[in-house]
Amino acid sequence: MSYDLVGVILFAVLAIGIVGAGIGVVLLDRITASALLMAFTFLNVAGMFVLLGAETIAAFQVLIYVGAITVLILYGVMFTPQRERAYALFFQTQWPWAALVVAPLGIGVALVGLSFRDRATAVPAGGDLDALATSIFRDFAFPFEVASVLLLAAMIGAIVLVRRDD
Amino acid sequence: MAVPLGAFIAVSAVLFSIGIAGVLVRRNAVVILMCVELMLNAANLALVAFSRRGGFPDERGSVFVVFVFVVAASEVAVGLAIVLSAYRNRPTVDVDEIHAMKG
Repeated sequence: MSYDLVGVILFAVLAIGIVGAGIGVVLLDRITASALLMAFTFLNVAGMFVLLGAETIAAFQVLIYVGAITVLILYGVMFTPQRERAYALFFQTQWPWAALVVAPLGIGVALVGLSFRDRATAVPAGGDLDALATSIFRDFAFPFEVASVLLLAAMIGAIVLVRRDD
Repeated sequence: MAVPLGAFIAVSAVLFSIGIAGVLVRRNAVVILMCVELMLNAANLALVAFSRRGGFPDERGSVFVVFVFVVAASEVAVGLAIVLSAYRNRPTVDVDEIHAMKG
């Protein structure tokens, strides 16, 4: 079994995982199951990043999405218990219209996406950490600092929004 | 290089469509936040794929992904804070019942 075939099989498994778990997030009525399936989707996307040779981004993905954001969402689920609903409907009544618009759009964009071809030159081996770090801390040093200010503002904003006035 | 670039972009497009569908059809505000995260992740997948395999070799696509991580973390923190404070005023996360600002 050649390495190429292993790559194709890995890609197929990850793609089925992403699409299946993503559909599960939308279709399942249980919020906790949706949140865990979302984490599974993020893990599969991290696997895709590894397949693409972006190991650093995959590590960030696991740390931030699978770790932090999933835990935050699970806490959000825990703090907002739903009361019993009179009706079993968890979809908006507009769902047929949404399906009618989104399905052709998604299929069309996916078909256009399939037409993209790889570049002729080979991808440089050895991971993406060096190039990523050089780019962030040289060309994007100022946006990097602005991003830290954004995180600080979001943190303070979240605290202010949920603080009780007593 | 067995898997072509187009396959990654197609998976990204499908995941983005699933996210849009979730935002449009679900009633629960927390699930809507999850679907927004799915859409951001699909965009990340496309950015990394083009950055690594696209016609012009460039690491800046991966740098954008790092900034998308930052914005996604901020967005989910503030979004959940808004959902929680709305829930405190009125114990529901159903977006149809949160209509205090409806004209």
